[in-house]
Amino acid sequence: MNIRKAAGVFGIAAMMAASAFAHHSFTAEYDQNKPVKLNGKVTDMKWSNPHGWIYVDVETNGKIQNWALETAGVNALVRRGWKKTDLPPGTVVIVDGWQARNGSPTANIATITFQDGRKLFAGTSNEAAPSK
Amino acid sequence: MRFPLSCHVKLQWRWSEVFLLAALVGAATAAFAQAQPAAVRLPRAANGKPNLQGIWQVNARAAYDLEDHASRLGMPAGRSVVEGDVIPYQPWAAAKKIENFKNRASADPVGKCYFPGVPRIMYMEHPFQIFQTGEHVAILFEWSHVYRLIYTNGKPPLHDGIESWMGDSRGHWEGDTLVVEVKGQNDKTWFDMAGNFHSGEMKVVERYTMQSADAMQYEATIEDSKVFTKPWKIRVPLRRQTGLDRILEYQCQAEKEEANGEFEREPKTWYPDAGSEVVVPAFTGTQEPDVAPAKTGTNLRRMADGKPNITGYYQPDAGGANYGLERHEKVFLTPASRGLVIDPKDGLLPYQPWARQERIEREKPYRGYDDPTAHCFPAGVPRGFYAPAPYQILQTPGYVVFLFERMAWRIVPLNRRTHLRDNVRLWQGDSIGHWEGDVLVVETTNLNGKTWLNEVGDVVSHAARVVERFYPVDANQVIYRATVSDPVVYTRPWTIEIPLNREPEELLEVACHEDNGDLQHLKDVRDEYRAQQKKAQ
Repeated sequence: MNIRKAAGVFGIAAMMAASAFAHHSFTAEYDQNKPVKLNGKVTDMKWSNPHGWIYVDVETNGKIQNWALETAGVNALVRRGWKKTDLPPGTVVIVDGWQARNGSPTANIATITFQDGRKLFAGTSNEAAPSK
Repeated sequence: MRFPLSCHVKLQWRWSEVFLLAALVGAATAAFAQAQPAAVRLPRAANGKPNLQGIWQVNARAAYDLEDHASRLGMPAGRSVVEGDVIPYQPWAAAKKIENFKNRASADPVGKCYFPGVPRIMYMEHPFQIFQTGEHVAILFEWSHVYRLIYTNGKPPLHDGIESWMGDSRGHWEGDTLVVEVKGQNDKTWFDMAGNFHSGEMKVVERYTMQSADAMQYEATIEDSKVFTKPWKIRVPLRRQTGLDRILEYQCQAEKEEANGEFEREPKTWYPDAGSEVVVPAFTGTQEPDVAPAKTGTNLRRMADGKPNITGYYQPDAGGANYGLERHEKVFLTPASRGLVIDPKDGLLPYQPWARQERIEREKPYRGYDDPTAHCFPAGVPRGFYAPAPYQILQTPGYVVFLFERMAWRIVPLNRRTHLRDNVRLWQGDSIGHWEGDVLVVETTNLNGKTWLNEVGDVVSHAARVVERFYPVDANQVIYRATVSDPVVYTRPWTIEIPLNREPEELLEVACHEDNGDLQHLKDVRDEYRAQQKKAQ
């Protein structure tokens, strides 16, 4: 499975309400008033359920901070065509999301954008839409 | 060796041949006796295979230590269940095992309520129930609602290379023995409380051999060249629990968090403490649901007994129901919902005023921590059907079984008429079912009232009686309805409807509470709120 195929299923996955895989209130955990745009290098990915985590080193004012970015769970990602090897350490990515209310370098993200413009849908509950 | 062709041929056997024959016959008899005494009749399934269905539990002390061990505090003594008595560790691994043993009080993964892995789950001291179809053997464990769905349909895993706590199990029959290969387990589980361990390379081959209607031999061969010098084998007896008519629940993490105050009682919804009076009022509004039956299809898959076949993997078409059962728009990270309530007709849940207020309060960020599913506890009834996560429905003679991907199960007996005693309360309740024509009807009571109906906190209490109806439409769809009658929370019964769509998929594992960072964030939000409230006083 390559990134291109995963990006291709983005549209379908976004329409499938059942692909949402939250087990707790994201609205309670993340702050609508703290949108973040992060540009950095992937250091690790935690391949876990019900949510996965991508860790990205982000440089701000000369300081590097490792951010934890929450994604859909592994089962949802696998069914969308992801493989564990899709995001090797060192990959440069841009992500948009919302920071956690507790102020830690943690964010909820929907889409990862690669340097060449390709996008990978990683979203959790926020992409779920009503099906009727 | 010459064989006599007729009685006219004189036997000309030498003594050595006679001895050899006797030895061969003796060995064959012994081997046969070991596998299965000649006179024993095993229960058999429709396909002729031994029928393993029923409630079983280990009859050995293997859970404490697979090897010979003297007693220690909280650990009774026991004999080794390892063939050859000793586990063949590589030298570095033998040292690590000793280290594990020293640290076992804090390091045992099961002590943290993590899934035990295979084979450990098979010999823990909790009963388990086996359900068997032509294509699956499902093992449902009382311990934390863990289950194993073993595919016996000869197919390889749909999604390969996924690591999990319980691994991927594929089985086949060798004569009367069920042989199961378990692969893809992570390196985080132990074999017992004594710190015996393995790596992520481990492959387990299990052999389940019924020896009589009530006795089964369980054998597991462990291959892991990273940790051991050679493959090794354990063997434990399993006994049918003839005194039990059902398995109950032991929700490990919930018991722990309730005991240490991390998960707090909600007095209005939880079943009252022992000794307290249980008061269940009458509805103030309509007593009966006001909803016409849904239509079943005419061209249904059917079981051998003629009942509709609704076996399969399903995804609910529930939209954002896990974020509110009533119709609502998308707000920030909370998805919209078309609204699932079909009765009352206005689509609104018929809340009592206090409960509507509670629902509004629960949606505030500081209450996010209180949703039991944020702690990875079972979703309860009916939430499991719109969680949102897939589930598998299995049908065996006398039972319908629901396996939820978020590691929880429900067992619905079709031949039972009465519920548990009122004081026995369960996360998933006590369900009994029956067919009304082509409609499966399941009634659930004995709920503990600890669950929320979704993440925004739609309210349900211990008093709820839930009647679910499954209307098969065609081979790929079932209309699911749940009528909730809860006079503690609502003025009248209400009903939701969800289409369930069957898909050619397989369940994966959700192991939720290891390193549950989300829960910590939610706890931080709650603690900050509480600190502010205290300051304001």
